[in-house]
Amino acid sequence: MRSPELAAFHRASLRPLLVKELWEMLSGRALWTLLLILCPLVGYSFAQAVALYSEASSAARDSPALASGLSPLDGVLVPSFGALYLAVTLLFPFVAIRTLGHEKETGALPLLVQLPYRVPTLIAAKMAAISIAWLISIIPLVSVLITWILLGGHLYAPETLNLLLGHLLYGLLVGAIALFAAAISESAATAAIIALAFTIGSWVLDFGLAGQPGLLEWISRLSLTQTLRTFEQGLLSLSLLLGIVAGIGGFTALSAVWLHPGQRLQTKLSRSVICVAIIAAVLALATQIRTSIDLSEDQRNSFPAADQRALAELREPLVITVRLAPEDPRYVDLRRNVLSKLQRVLPNVTVRLATTGQTMVGSTSDEAYGEIEYSYGGRVAKTRSTSHREALPLLYGLAGKAIPTPLAGEDYPGYPLIAGSELTLLWFFAALPLLIAMTWWWSRRAPRIPQQLVQDGGQS
Amino acid sequence: MATSSDIATLQNAQPADALMQISGLSKRYGEQRALAEVSFDVRSREVLGLIGPNGAGKTTLLETLAGILPADGGEILWRGAPLSLADRRDAVFYLPDGLRPWDDQFVIRSVEFFAAVYGCAETRVVETVHAVGLSPVLSKRISTLSKGYGHRLMLALALLTPQPVLLMDEPFDGFDLRQTREMMGLLREVTGRGRTLVLAIHQLGDAERVCDRFVLLAEGRVRGVGTLDQLCEQTKEASGRLEDVFLALT
Repeated sequence: MRSPELAAFHRASLRPLLVKELWEMLSGRALWTLLLILCPLVGYSFAQAVALYSEASSAARDSPALASGLSPLDGVLVPSFGALYLAVTLLFPFVAIRTLGHEKETGALPLLVQLPYRVPTLIAAKMAAISIAWLISIIPLVSVLITWILLGGHLYAPETLNLLLGHLLYGLLVGAIALFAAAISESAATAAIIALAFTIGSWVLDFGLAGQPGLLEWISRLSLTQTLRTFEQGLLSLSLLLGIVAGIGGFTALSAVWLHPGQRLQTKLSRSVICVAIIAAVLALATQIRTSIDLSEDQRNSFPAADQRALAELREPLVITVRLAPEDPRYVDLRRNVLSKLQRVLPNVTVRLATTGQTMVGSTSDEAYGEIEYSYGGRVAKTRSTSHREALPLLYGLAGKAIPTPLAGEDYPGYPLIAGSELTLLWFFAALPLLIAMTWWWSRRAPRIPQQLVQDGGQS
Repeated sequence: MATSSDIATLQNAQPADALMQISGLSKRYGEQRALAEVSFDVRSREVLGLIGPNGAGKTTLLETLAGILPADGGEILWRGAPLSLADRRDAVFYLPDGLRPWDDQFVIRSVEFFAAVYGCAETRVVETVHAVGLSPVLSKRISTLSKGYGHRLMLALALLTPQPVLLMDEPFDGFDLRQTREMMGLLREVTGRGRTLVLAIHQLGDAERVCDRFVLLAEGRVRGVGTLDQLCEQTKEASGRLEDVFLALT
């Protein structure tokens, strides 16, 4: 039974803890440095993107067909947000590590774990501070969106918000990894090495293993960069969303497991195993979810509306056998133009790679190489085309359905814009950094001391 | 020199007013033994001094008691019932030595943070700040504080906490003689208000002035427990000085 003498303060307010974390983050140089570096990076990316978009727009001025290819998402937003991706990958880990690493280095951790908060609460407060840090770090990006609108540019809210959500999740995932690295490391330098091994290691996976067959292909999917690609295509995939949230939650939980210096190593290890098992189960569950929403204005992740409706009526399993090596550009085209769209609209699609284990060079002498076989309702049809314009009629034929008539007025018009972006450079290279530097200076001012606490005395 | 059976008798004699009972506490760092079967009790409203040379295991003992370092064996009881790691922070607050926590924050923010976390009344905050003489440096950053003011800040934070037992590692380190006397007076007031103090001190003179009882540690072992008179009687030291008792026992 609990002794009445023990201090009863289990309901300590969260507010002072959150305020403390916020001040800790604002007091460090990491966040401000990140912001100051982001301004010219984002500004330059934006100016380049606007210049190229304007060039393409001037060519498309008299051609509606060319204009329909001009999407602000691809032309301006994704390149500008690319600067944020770079900064979050390389610099944001330092911001996140500081929330815990600094307390470890100054010896504040023993005080922190004695406060009347449970360890998960302490870690949750740090994740809240990391989230706020991410929100602050997108100030230059918000500035890009406003500038684009002021230049007369078009923004489609769902795809823009979806892109922001993708970057938020990527930022939080990097933050959670960095926090975990800080929890298991004695110094901030070691934590930085661990966190960067995850983020830069993802680039290695992207460049080294992408397109490789078998296990290597599966490993390449673990790249953190993969989390952004879907959002950049205007697609909100519930499977990916659940997977990233599981990753963020998992690394946060592992940070909580490893934070308390008073826990035995065996306890930490056994709890870590449980955490990893739960994360693996959630990730496995996530792979079973097929639901995704196409939030792009040009509906690039879907077939034309008439085809979507017609295909939604097909209930039997569709088996597609592809005789292409995974690294073959035609397979990449097929995946983007046909397979991924079919997997979104049909309830039961199985894709088989008949060339598993073979390379493109070794397979091209095979006459059947390049064939794509569609099997539906016991009937089979083959094609070598990677376009939906050939694949869908083939599929309708197998299903005994008529080719649907295209709906009028569903074509994406495109948003050409010819604008000069020279003046915006002044904002991103001078005015915005100056404002940020002034805010930094303002945040470092001494707080007001209540009169009753003031008393004469000298420094000992 | 006291025999091991004398020490065991002293360690096993747990009085009725024991607040905490530490029994058979041990800790190793790899091959090195930091604490070996350490047993003693902490009584309500006393100032208990952990006395020992550098490397005796004082800091390890305090960290183990606070739950910041896992012990390899032993038991900690609170009024006779086991004190779990989760309940440890409700019973004791440990103030490590030489800390500069949150060093790029202003002193006032650290004080306000602890006051807000523990829901301290404004009058208590004012009283604490004035008692430890922290007013002149409230608007300074913690990293710029002198060693003495750094210690005052840590003491202020500890005084704002509500736990019944305060564990302090070298609380007078960095203070001159006058300041040490002031702080001793302040700590006496703290025990007068019902809190219990366990102080790790390597300056025997300071310990003799402020502590009611002593736990003498050397090489991770308890060499003696008791008041100065009890220890003198045990070692047959006529001088009545802690220094002589300590030399006789270690």
